[in-house]
Amino acid sequence: MSSPKLAEPDVTDKKSDQAQMGAVQTPKLAKSASANQKCYRAKKELLEACCLPEELPPDWKKRAVRKLDELRHKNRSLQVYLDICVKCGACSDKCQFFLGTGDPKNMPMARADLLRKVYKRYFTVGGKLFGKSAGAEDLTEAVLEDWYTYFYQCSECRRCAVFCPYGIDTAEITRAAREVMASVGVATKYVTEVVKKVYEIGNNLGIPEPAWRDSCEFLQDEIKEETGHDVLLPVNQEGAEVLLIPPSADLFANTDTMIGYAKLFYAAGISWTTSTYASEGGNFGLFLDYKNLKEVNKRIVEGARRLGVRRIVMGECGHAWRAAQAFTDTLNGPLDFLEKPRPQHICELTVELIRKGALKLDKSANDDVSVTYHDPCNTARAGGIIEEPREIIRAVVSDFREMPRDTIKERTFCCGAGGGLLTDEIMDLRMKGGRPRAEACRSTGANYLATPCAICKAQLPYVMDHYKVEVTVGGVTDLVSKALLLD
Amino acid sequence: MSIVLFVIGQVLPYITVAVFVLGVGYRFLLWLKTPAPLKIPLTPGPKTPSGVIGRLAVEVATFRSLLYSGPWLWAGGWLTHFMLLLIIAGHLVGISTLGREFMPLGFTAEQSTRASALLGSVLGLAIIPPIIYLLGRRAWNERVRYASAFSDYFALALILLIVVTGDYMRLLSPIDLALVKSYVANLARLHPTPIPANGIFVAHFALVNVLLLYLPFSKLLHGVGMFFSPTLDQANDARERRHVNPWDRLEVS
Repeated sequence: MSSPKLAEPDVTDKKSDQAQMGAVQTPKLAKSASANQKCYRAKKELLEACCLPEELPPDWKKRAVRKLDELRHKNRSLQVYLDICVKCGACSDKCQFFLGTGDPKNMPMARADLLRKVYKRYFTVGGKLFGKSAGAEDLTEAVLEDWYTYFYQCSECRRCAVFCPYGIDTAEITRAAREVMASVGVATKYVTEVVKKVYEIGNNLGIPEPAWRDSCEFLQDEIKEETGHDVLLPVNQEGAEVLLIPPSADLFANTDTMIGYAKLFYAAGISWTTSTYASEGGNFGLFLDYKNLKEVNKRIVEGARRLGVRRIVMGECGHAWRAAQAFTDTLNGPLDFLEKPRPQHICELTVELIRKGALKLDKSANDDVSVTYHDPCNTARAGGIIEEPREIIRAVVSDFREMPRDTIKERTFCCGAGGGLLTDEIMDLRMKGGRPRAEACRSTGANYLATPCAICKAQLPYVMDHYKVEVTVGGVTDLVSKALLLD
Repeated sequence: MSIVLFVIGQVLPYITVAVFVLGVGYRFLLWLKTPAPLKIPLTPGPKTPSGVIGRLAVEVATFRSLLYSGPWLWAGGWLTHFMLLLIIAGHLVGISTLGREFMPLGFTAEQSTRASALLGSVLGLAIIPPIIYLLGRRAWNERVRYASAFSDYFALALILLIVVTGDYMRLLSPIDLALVKSYVANLARLHPTPIPANGIFVAHFALVNVLLLYLPFSKLLHGVGMFFSPTLDQANDARERRHVNPWDRLEVS
């Protein structure tokens, strides 16, 4: 790993407010502790693919300030949240990246201040008159460097918003800051590269159609060997009932989840398909700017239209679910060309099937696992899917235990790699950010960590290994798959 | 000295009211007119407008979310706000009725004025510990201190000073409420009369003016602003009802 190293945070002497087993102590402030955790910059070719300026223009300060002005008039969240923070500090020890590093700029209110101080300087009476004593500062090269560093150390998980009395969502500030930076040609290699792959090939991993088909066939053979049944993974099947939009990683890394989808639809007798045009759930445009968020999401709607399906089901992916469920109708809708216009989460579908009695399940197939469940941030805090996965797990597993209450459900800790942070050059930050989740998991003694999100599935095995927590990370549908009887 | 008293007592209040009303009004309209392009409620969240109002009402009444950050922060915040509310209400009711607000409950005029004075004194003193706690926390908690500018200390210190001058007046240099009532009434009638010649009252009154002049340009607007927070004031119904982005309306085909 090429990531520069971070020092261990120095913890405070007193116990934090939620002192209990599995909790991580609040660190003492360590200024610039994670300042060296920077994502690689996007170069010309990638910026061009995302319709962004190919380099920092000479008048970038003026452009950036103007863009900030534009955004605050277009986004109520930005304008209100810049104005009403009272610095109460309720959020200050809730961000996993602060807890893991001790770097004060990772405290949500301080992270927001990186943008707020520029807003105050150029757009408020107090800021213009009183400068620093009103918390205002000019936009300089140093400030831009801080923006680039710390707004790409926020995973946009919204945990801070839950603890803020006004629901101030730092993710909205981060999204605005990233959009301002993008407008002057400043973005990360990782995010722009992924978005470029979606535009050129259709998914985040850059899997072209032949490879997609091959993998589906391969998994069909696997299932046949395992169960004796001809369970298909249809590709580009017109007129199917369901268009499944998985995270592309499910076809290549989380194949147990993909197999699970196939067996689920087979057992329920639902015709389905994937689309090689719309082969990605995870919307990385969400990490860049509004235009790219919209453009990436459009493929899902277009894919559904091309194949003439009746409804869309989203697979185990957090960012996919947020975009599809909350944004699609606004960005690319309406979806009423579909017979059932509301996208459904795979867990919602599974719960429906379980309650209807459409699935034959044998819990004993999962007797080798004691399971705990990690709520992916977008799924829980932005997508409202909280009880469904738990209902599913209880139906297919005998030993299910929860992590401490303030680390789950709407207060779940981010895995440490959401929001475009799943890249190796900031591995140390990722590990530090994952620590609260690791300790919470350790405290349950579970040996299987279930989570319906591809980013979490990619990040958490590294995190658990790093902190020596003996646990396997896998999907929720994987557990269903093991317990499902096809005969 | 009398020119100062003239300005404070008969000019400043009008400037204050104008700045306060126009300032808060401007910010309110700015927030109102700024669109919320996407649905971003915090989930789990209410799916209906009445549910949303309910959640906001509970938050305002109980400061529920602060409990997750520990009992001390919750107590400091909630007590300060709640007692401030009672004190301000007490000013409006107590001054306009000259302390006789409890007579409808069966008290005599004498009993009512004593009860009113007692309540005011108790609240005026009881509010000091939570304010001191919040101010102290800002100075001693290194996380909060890091993110605090002078303006963050200023707001709370100003409120504390207003409370202290009010207490001083109540306990050591009391003023005839009838004088205050007629002074304020004359101001309201746009026929200003000289401010009552009680030094502490003048200080108390001047500080309140400073607070009201300061509020529209500061974080104290949070009282109004929080209701415009999309994470709290949007219903979680993106799938049930189409949310239109006013600056990116799609041409419906």
